[in-house]
Amino acid sequence: MSTREQDVLRRAGEASVLVLVSLADGPKHGYALIQDVKQFAGVELGPGTLYGALDRLERLGLIESLPADERRHPYRITATGAAALRAHLDSLERVSAAGRLRLQLGGA
Amino acid sequence: MSATPEAAEGRLVTAALRCYPARWRRRHADEAAELAALLIADGTPAASIAWSYLAGAAREWLVPRRPRSLSEASEASAAADCRPGGAVSPPRPQAGRAQRGLGTEGNTGRPWRGGRRLAAALLAAACLIGFSVALAAEGAPAKAAGTTQAPASPGAGSHSPHRLNPCRPAQATAHVRTC
Repeated sequence: MSTREQDVLRRAGEASVLVLVSLADGPKHGYALIQDVKQFAGVELGPGTLYGALDRLERLGLIESLPADERRHPYRITATGAAALRAHLDSLERVSAAGRLRLQLGGA
Repeated sequence: MSATPEAAEGRLVTAALRCYPARWRRRHADEAAELAALLIADGTPAASIAWSYLAGAAREWLVPRRPRSLSEASEASAAADCRPGGAVSPPRPQAGRAQRGLGTEGNTGRPWRGGRRLAAALLAAACLIGFSVALAAEGAPAKAAGTTQAPASPGAGSHSPHRLNPCRPAQATAHVRTC
């Protein structure tokens, strides 16, 4: 399988990737996710965007919801999700390295 | 109207949440309402939260859902076929539909999907109009509370450039974007 095929997050959207990164260090519910993403990425996810991303990731089997804590559903990254995130970050690193190299070579 | 600003904000969010499909509301409505309450308590304008939910609702209606996996698609297809009076959805090609996946456009599945999309678009439009009316109704209490929410005219709100850009720079903080 090619690297592009492995990277299922390639077309999942920025919000999905941010949510997955946030869940990488442990389960969180919606409010905690919004706060965490705002802190590490400087992006304020709207609640509608957040639930869209959560649904998409859950359908892909990359996250799963845990039993509700009162009215809040914590979400947890699955093993498949962790692997997908690794593949996506590897892909981003390759692009980033190529970009930096070309900027140096081009003198821009 | 004698409603408090908090009640008005709550109604605005509730109106937006009602725009989601029933299956979404069954699963997320409670926690979405709680999340909205927490964000409002944090100082996020209720109108901004409501618009975010409204955009999410439009996506839910308009974007085709894909099954989680091949086996799940097969199970869903089998379950639909086994329902009493299971021909709620129009006849579809039996061979290979599950293998192609419900979210893919098969050669013969297009007329059905097109009709469903049209219905979803009409529902979303009706919902948008209803929500705009609700927003207009809530405009007065919000102004009385001294908030700086956007004007409540139906046309102005729905065509705001901010709403069209999914990840715009936040106004309050230089390095924070809203998405």
